[in-house]
Amino acid sequence: MIEHVWLVPLLPLAASLVILFFGREGEHSKMPYLGIAAIGAGLWISLRIIFDAALGRAVLPYEADWTWYSFAADLGGRPFIFDMRAGVLIDGAAAVMLAVVCLVSLLVQVYSLGYMHGDPRFKRYYAYLSFFTASMLGLVVSNNLIVVFAAWELVGVSSYLLIGFWFEKEAPPYAAKKAFITTKLGDLGFFLALLLTFAYAGTYNLTRLKELVGMGYLPPLALTLIGLGLLSGAAGKSAQAPLFIWLPDAMEGPTPVSALIHAATMVAAGIYLVARCYFVFLASPFAMEAVAWTGLVTAFLAGTMALVPYDIKRVLAFSTVSQLGFMMAALGVGGYTAGLFHLTTHAFFKALLFLCAGSVIHAVHTNDMRSMGGLSKRMPLTFTTMAIGSAALAGIPPFAGFFSKDMILEKVFEHSPAMFALLVLTACLTAFYTFRMLFMTFLGEARDRERVAHAEESGSAMTVPLLILAGLAVVSGWLLQHGHAFASFVGSGAAEAGAHAAETAGSGAHGLNPMVLAVGMTAAAMALIALAYSLYGGPDQSRAGRLKERFLPVFNLLENRWGFDAFFLALVDAADRLAELCRWADTEVIDKIFVDGWGLLTRIAAEISHLFDALFVDQAVDGCGWLSRDVAGRGLRSLVARGQVQEYLLYLAVGVSLFAILR
Amino acid sequence: MITAIAFYLMAAVALVSAVLVVTLRNTVHCALFLGLSLAAVAGVFGTLGADFLFASQILIYVGGIAVLMIFAVMLMGRTADLTLRQVNQEWLAALLVCAITAAGLWRTAKAYLGTAAASAPAPATKALGRLMLGDYVIPFELISLVLLAALLGAVFFTKKEEGGKT
Amino acid sequence: MTLTLAHYLALGAGLFVIGIFGALTRRSVIGILMSIELMFNAANINLAAFNRFLHPEGVTGQAFALFIMTVAAAEVVVGLALVLAIYRRWDKVYMEKIDILRG
Repeated sequence: MIEHVWLVPLLPLAASLVILFFGREGEHSKMPYLGIAAIGAGLWISLRIIFDAALGRAVLPYEADWTWYSFAADLGGRPFIFDMRAGVLIDGAAAVMLAVVCLVSLLVQVYSLGYMHGDPRFKRYYAYLSFFTASMLGLVVSNNLIVVFAAWELVGVSSYLLIGFWFEKEAPPYAAKKAFITTKLGDLGFFLALLLTFAYAGTYNLTRLKELVGMGYLPPLALTLIGLGLLSGAAGKSAQAPLFIWLPDAMEGPTPVSALIHAATMVAAGIYLVARCYFVFLASPFAMEAVAWTGLVTAFLAGTMALVPYDIKRVLAFSTVSQLGFMMAALGVGGYTAGLFHLTTHAFFKALLFLCAGSVIHAVHTNDMRSMGGLSKRMPLTFTTMAIGSAALAGIPPFAGFFSKDMILEKVFEHSPAMFALLVLTACLTAFYTFRMLFMTFLGEARDRERVAHAEESGSAMTVPLLILAGLAVVSGWLLQHGHAFASFVGSGAAEAGAHAAETAGSGAHGLNPMVLAVGMTAAAMALIALAYSLYGGPDQSRAGRLKERFLPVFNLLENRWGFDAFFLALVDAADRLAELCRWADTEVIDKIFVDGWGLLTRIAAEISHLFDALFVDQAVDGCGWLSRDVAGRGLRSLVARGQVQEYLLYLAVGVSLFAILR
Repeated sequence: MITAIAFYLMAAVALVSAVLVVTLRNTVHCALFLGLSLAAVAGVFGTLGADFLFASQILIYVGGIAVLMIFAVMLMGRTADLTLRQVNQEWLAALLVCAITAAGLWRTAKAYLGTAAASAPAPATKALGRLMLGDYVIPFELISLVLLAALLGAVFFTKKEEGGKT
Repeated sequence: MTLTLAHYLALGAGLFVIGIFGALTRRSVIGILMSIELMFNAANINLAAFNRFLHPEGVTGQAFALFIMTVAAAEVVVGLALVLAIYRRWDKVYMEKIDILRG
């Protein structure tokens, strides 16, 4: 089955093209089922790969590639044929990612059947979804960094299309542009890393690169730069500080799309890229540390920012950023397995949370939590599943998030207690803001009675995915933790040896008793949930309001996202000013002196040339003309050119007579 | 002897009427004298024993071309023209040129003063027919094409333009 | 007083010269056409005479004379058609009036 893995990205791609170009648009289009079938087949293949590998019937890592193009080149007088090969490389992480992406995408597509029902561009939506998934899958399977980069950009394009899907409204196109441009900023780093890679290694094949790095073929500085470049790309796509500003705005897209972006397809790409190129970071401690601190800062900042918004999707968006920070930090401290583990579990419960939020929004037609409250009675199923998702996010045992988060905290503690402290604080914040959202939405009294009274539980197309994801959010952590199944599976990739080395090297500090950590974290989370309940759970929310008034500057700071948006706007503004200055310099200085000056010089030269021309050359030409016209022409013409045929005949006859007589 | 008398007679008629052709004012007379001159040339052919040529000359020139000329003259004729001079101002120069040419040609002809006919002339019609449909069959057919083209061209040129703009 | 080739050539030369004179001096187009016919005839006489006196065994000269007659007939037909067309279009008969070639 593993030899068919190339079908996994190509099936959704084909499906999206067929849907886009051959499907009939309409509210009752049957095209969505084609996309669902394609991704279902992909899921089937990727699950079979995992089972085959687990049962030992397939060997990971699996690599197969085909020649893409080749050209003859000459390097230092030594001619050679450069062979660019592209193909698939499946290690444990890739296999897991394939399954996660396919599963989440499948559920989101099923869910969208209900959520997007009645949209005039129903078909196009599915084409984009399939394309999005296909790009991400291509990114996951590819063994060639160039192809990875191409898929990476395709992910960006499709996210642009989907975030701006409702382009009739004002905000979505703006958000789409913001997402695209911000991630592009990070992609610059990725691109530079690619250039450096080729300059130093001469190949883009991941396996070969790994060998070269392992042999110490690349200089350390280059490795650090490549690592930082990759980190920059990952920071853009995975919404790390300071490039996370696009993610909250990306909420303007349809909610299932948000679920897809946050759980599987887009933000996972950055984490996955770092994991995929882990050998680079292992070889460069500085890049590794940068990854860790980026993740840490992101986790903390986003965790605080998630405390204040009233938009249910914004809260979730910031929580995603925060959790991505967790993953990044885990990778940065050498917790390869922990990071990927959290990526997997997070994919499930974050997709669940978003789809639940979508269900709520579908019912009450607003994102604002201040208009909700008391929805638990109207939508019990959604409430239950969302509570499960929240518990998983907050890290309550035995839900999925608990296991992965603990794993990360352990790793971080081994690395540095200071980082550990910050991360624990963030984890506590997570518990608080998650349940704040849950309580504000579902408990208490209906603050907007009219909306809430009309809210109804969503249809089966939407609830069935919720139930499946809720089930996964309950069991996936425990299942994968059990017997270190996940660790051994993901570690079956070649990354493990290096990762182990880093983990052991990094653990100079004392180990932490896992039981102490687990109990302590659970207790802290419970306490904060209780606090959230006391503030937001009851019908009376005046205490929360008073708290807000008291700490208004802090609230405002958090509302303004620590001024990051303002910072980037100021950056843009500064760029504008710089451009204005350049324009001024261009028009006033360069144009005036150089361009106009040159013009003046040229004109003077032209005048001189013209004078010479008129005085001498033209006169000569005119003289020739005058000679031939007036002297020769007029004279001759008066002689012969009178149109008298008989005169011509006479001349002819003169000639004939001369011939006749002169012999 | 009879041949010689016939030749001189015919030559005299031909030359005199040719001179009249190029000098008379009345164009109709010119055309008539042209016919006479051509007929005299036919007679010269007769003295050469070229019987078929003789017949052709009579048929084509005298019977065809000269008559055609008369028709054309009559189509375009204007009574006012009868009084006008029909020779232009360059007649003196033309006369000079002609005299020089004639002198040159006479110099050539003089070389053949001793060349007399070796035998009596034989009828040539049969030989001509064989030649025309034998060695010269392709030029013969081509010349018929030339005639056809001339016919079409003449029709084309003289056709009245559409719309009556004459 | 036998006839020699020179007699015939002289006759041809005379006709030819008269034709040249006519072509050079006649004012009307038809007059020029007539003069050209005279020149054709002069050439025919020469051909027939050369045939008779220099190559009496064949008839090639006469055949050429016949071809020339045909060409002359074609020429005069086209020429007269042109003359008629010019006459109808511009009402001109005299050569010095037909000067559209004037530079």
